[in-house]
Amino acid sequence: MKAEPKRARFQSSTLPHLDRLVALASRWANGHEAEDYVQETYVRAWAAFDQLRDAGAAFPWLCQILRSVIGERRRTRARRQQLVFITELEAAHEEIVASDAPSPLDDLLARLESGMLRQALRSLPEDFAEAVELHDIQGLKYSEIAQIASVPLGTVMSRISRGRQLLAGLLAVTASEGKAGNGEARERSPGNVLRRRDIAVSGLPMENPGRQSKRTSDE
Amino acid sequence: MSEVALDHALVQKLVGAFADGELPGDEASAVQEHLRTCARCRRELALQQGLSRALAQEPAPGASVALRRRIEQLGPPASRVRAFFSSRPWAAPAAAALVIIGIAAGTVLLRDRPGHGSTPIAEIPVFRDAVADCRRVMARNFPRKADLHAVAEGLQFPIRALDRPDAELFSTWKTTLDGVPAAGLAYRWRGIVVVQYAVPAELIRRQPQAAAALHRTGFYAASDQGQGILAVLADGTGILLVGDAAPEVLRQLIL
Repeated sequence: MKAEPKRARFQSSTLPHLDRLVALASRWANGHEAEDYVQETYVRAWAAFDQLRDAGAAFPWLCQILRSVIGERRRTRARRQQLVFITELEAAHEEIVASDAPSPLDDLLARLESGMLRQALRSLPEDFAEAVELHDIQGLKYSEIAQIASVPLGTVMSRISRGRQLLAGLLAVTASEGKAGNGEARERSPGNVLRRRDIAVSGLPMENPGRQSKRTSDE
Repeated sequence: MSEVALDHALVQKLVGAFADGELPGDEASAVQEHLRTCARCRRELALQQGLSRALAQEPAPGASVALRRRIEQLGPPASRVRAFFSSRPWAAPAAAALVIIGIAAGTVLLRDRPGHGSTPIAEIPVFRDAVADCRRVMARNFPRKADLHAVAEGLQFPIRALDRPDAELFSTWKTTLDGVPAAGLAYRWRGIVVVQYAVPAELIRRQPQAAAALHRTGFYAASDQGQGILAVLADGTGILLVGDAAPEVLRQLIL
């Protein structure tokens, strides 16, 4: 196989997804670190490019490689991530859907500045947040997400539903804490609310998603 | 669990897929039927749809110009290296080699992989000397100055620092590899120390196995007793990289 045609095919298949990969990598890291993840993803993708049968499936394929890269990095450098008290979020979500108010979610969303919803999503347990992000932000189909995460389609369904429910709960908790501390409006954000709570999802830190998911998953 | 509670539990799991149009026909019909009579699940549906719409409108970061350039340069080694050097404003055309030395954690001699040499580093003088010099300098905790002009003085080839925003140059020094004057540059990169040596390209070309690998695959890679090395050639310039990660990882330094 000639190198230049291969290179041209590689670029036409993968470069259109570069921005989306960086956006996805920024789930786990910021700035140069996120770009390092993506660069390593492309290096591996180049080496394995012959294995990509369908150029139309390049983005899910790159996502799989990115997950692998990040998984390896995170095993070697355990990080304590944002922690969430999940039962409180479930209760808050329940209040929203039990309410007769006309549009409680719209009220919650109206309080958020641009970018804060995405930030809040990243505070949720990884399995749920990833599925929601891949669908709602990256625009992937459920079947593609199932392929990337190596889980059954039904698991993707429940993760997306529950992820959004937890996200709604987080927005509600954030809003209620903001009301409670009127003088601290500028500190009110999902991230700040969670930082004030030194507690984990089901009491477990997030650096071990495998353990965490067993305790929190409803699959 | 009551019939209604069972329905709620099921709909809780399926309502997201229903909102996204991802539910198969029969299940979608069942959810639709439930929604007709259940205000709570209709609110749940509205919540799922509202959050999905809101998330789709969130701003997303994109790739930097530097990253895009590095990705675009992926491909045959020669073109990558050419692009790397051409990005340096003070690059000179003379043939030269960069030798990047790091401290590796493994004790692996890479074999039977394209570009990976089987000759122990100790048997290749320039590599052996570079590794030894690196150990010696590290043991002394590196010279405290980083002055490229000072170390380039008197050398017959250009010395170019790595063009990586995440590689911090913190030390430079003059040395001799295989009896030839060279320069050493030390970086902090991804939590490790990487040392770059600059030597004449001919010093690498005259190592038969390295020259053969460079001709065949565009790079030469090996690791031995805790030190790894990666070498590439382009436009008459030879580049040798050695680091505390796999040579493939070190290649990212010149992408």
